[in-house]
Amino acid sequence: MSRQDALTEQDVLRRVGEASVLILISLADGPKHGYALIQDIKELAGVELGPGTLYGALDRLERLGLIDALPAEDRRHPYRITAPGAAALRVHLDSLERVSAAGRLRLQLGGI
Amino acid sequence: MPEAGPETGPETGPETGPETGTASGVARLVEIALRCYPARWRRRHGAEAAELAALLIRDGTPAGSIAWSYLAGAAREWLTPHPARRLRTVACALLVAACSLGVSAGLLASAAPARAASPSPPPGPAQCRSGPAAPVPGVIPALGRPQVIIREAGHDRSC
Repeated sequence: MSRQDALTEQDVLRRVGEASVLILISLADGPKHGYALIQDIKELAGVELGPGTLYGALDRLERLGLIDALPAEDRRHPYRITAPGAAALRVHLDSLERVSAAGRLRLQLGGI
Repeated sequence: MPEAGPETGPETGPETGPETGTASGVARLVEIALRCYPARWRRRHGAEAAELAALLIRDGTPAGSIAWSYLAGAAREWLTPHPARRLRTVACALLVAACSLGVSAGLLASAAPARAASPSPPPGPAQCRSGPAAPVPGVIPALGRPQVIIREAGHDRSC
């Protein structure tokens, strides 16, 4: 297996969808609950997550062990990123960075 | 941790003023959408999801889009295979298989004595023959019913 293949293999976030990645990015600076996540992601990426999409992504990330639900405050469950979640996010962002750099280089070479 | 969101006065909320009917309709729409989720999901997220919907509506998000998002989420939730649900399916399949085996075994067991008592000629002197009974003095034959006469050691007996 080449180094590239190994890195792609480790990038578990490749198949979880944009919403999950945005949630992990939002949780990277501290725990948040649903409403705070929606607001933060809107501000951060200009993406308005629907509440149904949000809970689906939160459940999936929790099943994968990438986030943890903290004890409920009132009726709200705050979530926090776990150590494997942070590692997975780092790998995914590195991969995106490489793809982004390659894209910019090709645009430059193409003179577009 | 960030706060829940902007606190708006009662005059800006959708629950007040002449639109109360619409607001309650909107709330009902979201409530119906939330009821579409599996019970397990509702126990975990139900209250929080209803509160989140109320906050988003207060922020100006159209209630229809919130309800639609929850409906789509509910569909995804039902279609996503969960380990617990898979386990239940396997347990049900095993139960059905066990029941079928039990029924089959029961049928076989009940068929065995019947086969043992199947009409093979008895070794003894008793003989059966079907057909109309020969008039026997002192015996009134059953009306319209074929009779079997057992001739046993010289004595006739209908059965």
